[in-house]
Amino acid sequence: MSEQSVQEVALRVALERAIARKSDEYDRRAREYADRLTSTKLDKTQVRGLETLASTTDKVSDITDWLKLRVGRDSKREGWAKDGVGRDLVTELEGLRRDARKIVDELRVGEGIALAYPVDPDLERQVHLRLCREFLKHLAAHFEYLKAEQER
Amino acid sequence: MSNLEYLLKRKQRIAAWSDRWQAEAARFADSHRDLLPKRITNAQLYGLGNVVRSARRYADIERFIGNQVEKAKRAGRLDVQGYWNDLKDVLGKLRGEAQALLKTLCPAGAGSQDNLDELHRELIRLYVQHLIAHSLYWTPDQEDSGRRER
Repeated sequence: MSEQSVQEVALRVALERAIARKSDEYDRRAREYADRLTSTKLDKTQVRGLETLASTTDKVSDITDWLKLRVGRDSKREGWAKDGVGRDLVTELEGLRRDARKIVDELRVGEGIALAYPVDPDLERQVHLRLCREFLKHLAAHFEYLKAEQER
Repeated sequence: MSNLEYLLKRKQRIAAWSDRWQAEAARFADSHRDLLPKRITNAQLYGLGNVVRSARRYADIERFIGNQVEKAKRAGRLDVQGYWNDLKDVLGKLRGEAQALLKTLCPAGAGSQDNLDELHRELIRLYVQHLIAHSLYWTPDQEDSGRRER
């Protein structure tokens, strides 16, 4: 295995660890959103739809566009637009970009990996997408759980 | 570069472009916010979305926008005319973006004319997707704005 390949594997491992750490941090915040969403008329299908979109798309903008459209179309303010929950979620997801930047910056200088090779310039965006997926995964799980509790 | 490698690279570059240009499309929507949703209606925006999704040539998109300009002219709505003309300029300029993107994918001849046309339409589709989402996002619906005016 070449030196570059070894470095690339080390980078991937460090990246996965950093994303997993962040994901655990997001759990509480995602639960708060799930809690707010249970007071709307949204059902499991809609929240699961968002999670599915996030896990299949290769663009962060697809996720935020999806949410923006649903907020915009919710004229009765009973679903995604209720009490600004959709808008807050858009801001939250866009804000995860800062975490992505921090992770990539730390990987460049820290973790004992002195990168002698240039990292993918698209890495920060890809990490941002991964973080959005993690956040929404927690949100969808909490929502289903809370909704089931509510219906019991 | 193998064909699969090319397709993967193309997909990734387009995704990165789309995420980068979302803010640009949002700025366009925000700078014409006063026209939404009464002068430029949601139905017109959805119409634009349908046209860019189904267009097989850039000329089809241009024709749709040209029709909107004509309608606005007949109605004496200079501001609406301005909106569609501004959008036509932006969408036309995306050809330069497509050219630059194509150059990074196939540096030798920068791809064929067909590749360029196809990529141009793809970038337009993504830009319009962002534009519609952001236009609806911050626009109070008709019912709501009517209630406030009363």
